[in-house]
Amino acid sequence: MKSVREVKRKEYYIFSPFLRIFHWIMAAMIVVLFITGLLITKPMNVSTTEPFFTITSMDLVRDIHFTAAFILCASLILRIYGFIVNKGDRLFPRVWEGHFYEETVDVALHYMLLKPHHASFLRNPLARMSYAALYAFLAIEILTGFAMYFMTNPSGVGGKLFGWVNTVLGSEMMSHYVHHYVAWFIILFAIGHIYMVIRAEFMEGESEVSSMFSGKKILAHTPKDAKELE
Amino acid sequence: MEKRESLWEAYLRRGLSRRSFLKGCVTLTSLMGLSTDMFSKVVEAAETKPLPVVIWIHGHECTGCDESFIRSASPLASDLVLTNIALEYDHLLSAACGAPFEAHLDETITKYYGNYILCVEGAVATKESGVHCMSGGHTFLHLLDKAAKGAAAIIAYGSCSAYGGIQAAAPNPTGSAGIEHFVGGKPVVKVPGCPPIPEVMTGVVMHVALFGSVPPLDGDGRPKQFFGNRIHDTCYRRPFFDAGMFAETYDDAGSKAGWCLYKLGCRGPETYNSCGNLRWWQGMSYPIQSGAACIGCSNAHFWDEVPFSARLPQYGKIGDADKIGVALGVMTAAGVGAHAVASIIQRNSRDNLLEEEHDDK
Ligand code: HEM
Ligand code: HEM
Ligand code: SF4
Ligand code: SF4
Repeated sequence: MKSVREVKRKEYYIFSPFLRIFHWIMAAMIVVLFITGLLITKPMNVSTTEPFFTITSMDLVRDIHFTAAFILCASLILRIYGFIVNKGDRLFPRVWEGHFYEETVDVALHYMLLKPHHASFLRNPLARMSYAALYAFLAIEILTGFAMYFMTNPSGVGGKLFGWVNTVLGSEMMSHYVHHYVAWFIILFAIGHIYMVIRAEFMEGESEVSSMFSGKKILAHTPKDAKELE
Repeated sequence: MEKRESLWEAYLRRGLSRRSFLKGCVTLTSLMGLSTDMFSKVVEAAETKPLPVVIWIHGHECTGCDESFIRSASPLASDLVLTNIALEYDHLLSAACGAPFEAHLDETITKYYGNYILCVEGAVATKESGVHCMSGGHTFLHLLDKAAKGAAAIIAYGSCSAYGGIQAAAPNPTGSAGIEHFVGGKPVVKVPGCPPIPEVMTGVVMHVALFGSVPPLDGDGRPKQFFGNRIHDTCYRRPFFDAGMFAETYDDAGSKAGWCLYKLGCRGPETYNSCGNLRWWQGMSYPIQSGAACIGCSNAHFWDEVPFSARLPQYGKIGDADKIGVALGVMTAAGVGAHAVASIIQRNSRDNLLEEEHDDK
C-alpha cells in the first residue's frame, strides 16, 4: 500500500449541530441512566445505625437518574429542531420505497461477509432501521419511566398524562419490568452501534466517526441516497 | 314499596341513644375519608335516607374477603350488617338457604329494582360457558348478569372481583376475569385487595349508602381516598429506603432493625392501598410492619409477577434479566470482535485485489 495517494472525494454536509449536540448528550445520559437504573433495582446497602447518618444514597441515585432523564428529554428539542431545519437530520428508514428492501439485502450480505462491498450511502438502510429502533426504545423508556415517576400523585397532571401506560401494560410492576428490559436492549444497541461506526471508519475511511463531530462525511462514491440532501 | 327506615330510625327502634347515633356518624365520617366539616351532611343523610338494600354475591373466590369484612372494627361488621344496611341476600352471611333463599333473591331484585346496591366478591369464570362456578343451579355469570341489571351501584370487593384474582393466574384454566365486563356496561367501584382492609370495605359501602353516589374514583375505578397512594409513599420504612438501608434476608440484622424490605421483593413502590396509613386491625399493624415484604395484593396481575421475593422475574437456572443482559452483552461483544477480525481480513484481500488491478493498468 502506498503511503500517499491522490484520491477524489466529495464532502457531504449531513448532520446539523443540533443533532450532533443531541447525540452526545444522549450518549452520555444513557450511560448515566443505565448505571443508576441498575443501581435502583439492586441498590448498594449502607450499613449504619440510623438513616440520619447516611448520605441517603438511594435517594441520590434516583435523583441522578431522574435528572439525567429530564436532560435527555429536554435535549430531544434539539433533535426535533434539527429535524425541522436540516434535511440531513431526516435520514429515516424509507420503508415505503421499494428499493429500500433490495438495498437492505445488499448491505446485509456485505455485513455477513458474503460480499466485499455494499453500495455507498449517506446512511445505509440497516443503520437507518437500527436508529429507528433506538428511538422506539427511547420512547418506551420515557413513557414507562414517567408512568412510574408521576404515580406519586396519580391524580396530578403528570399522572393523568402517563398513567395510561401502566393500564396498557396491565400493571405498574409490568412498567418496571419493561423499563428494565428495554434498558438492556439499548445497551446491546450501543455495543453494536459503536462497533459498526468504528468498523465503517476502518473499512472505508470515509470519516464516519468524525461525522458526528463535524457533521460531514467525505465519500469516495456518490451515495445512492444523495438526493435526500437536496 | 313499603317505607324503609333510616339509620336514625333503626337506632330509635333499638332504643339506642342520640349520643351513640352521633358517635356512630363521627366514625362513619372519618371512615369514609371525609373531612370533619362533612359531619353535618353525614348526620342529615343518616337521619333521612332509608337504609340501603344490599345484595351481596360470591363468585370464584376463597371468601377471604368476608373473613376480612367480619373483622371490621369501626363500624363493627355486625353493626353494619344489622343496623346500617339492609342486607337482603348474602351467600355467606345469610342464615337461610335452599329454594326459598333463591326465591327471596328474585323477590328482592324485583321489589327494589334500580335501588339496591350490588356487592360482588369473586371472579367470573368464563370458560366452558361459566360452569366452573355455579350457584343455585346457575352459573355465576348468569347470577351476576341478573343481579347487575337492577343495581343502582355495583361494588367489586377484592382483587378477584376487580381483576380476576388468584384463579386467573397463568394459565388461567377457568378463564377467570374481573366482573367489569360482565355487568352490562355499568360502572363498577373496585375495592381490590387480597383481601381488602375491612374498614375500607365498610367505608365504601357506607359512602354509597349514605350519599347515594359512588365516592370519587381514580381512572381505574378505585375510590381515591383509599387507593390514591402507593404503599411506598406512605410507608414508615421509607427513610430506610432513601438512605439505602435494606434487609438482605428475612433474618439478618437489618431485618431485625426494621430496615426497608425492597431487596426482599417489596411491591410497595407500585401498590395502591391503605396499608401504610390505615393499617390493619384498627391500625395495629400491616404486613410490612410485621416484617414481610408487600406482595402487591391489590394490584391487577400481582399473582403472575413472581417471585414475590425479588424485584425481577427469575428464569430458572439462568437467573434474572441482569444476568441474561450481561451474558448477551458479552456475547455481542465477542461477536463484534470476531466480526472485526473477519472484516479486517476481508478488507485486506479486497485492497490487495484493488492494488493488483491498479498495477495491471
Ligand atoms: C463512542 C460512542 C459513539 C460514537 C462514536 C457514535 C457515532 C455516531 C455516528 C458517527 C453516527 C452517524 C452514523 C451515520 O449516520 O452513519 C451516529 C448516529 C447515531 N448514534 Fe451514535 N455514537 C456513539 C454512541 C452512541 C450511543 C451510546 C447511542 C445511544 C444508545 C447512540 C445513538 C445514535 C443514534 C440514535 C444515531 C442516529 C442519529 C440520528 O440521525 O437521528 N450513539 N453515532
Ligand atoms: C434510556 C433511558 C433510560 C434507561 C436506560 C433507564 C434505566 C432504568 C433502569 C434499568 C431502571 C430500574 C428498573 C427497575 O427494575 O425498577 C430504571 C428505573 C426507573 N427509571 Fe429509568 N431509564 C431510562 C429513562 C428514564 C426516564 C426518561 C424516566 C422518566 C422520569 C425514568 C424514570 C425511572 C423511574 C421512575 C424508575 C423507577 C425508580 C424506582 O423504582 O424507584 N427512566 N431506569
Ligand atoms: S418496605 Fe417496601 S414500601 Fe416500605 S419503603 Fe421499603 S420498598 Fe417501600
Ligand atoms: S402490604 Fe401489600 S400485600 Fe400486604 S395487604 Fe397491603 S397491599 Fe396487600
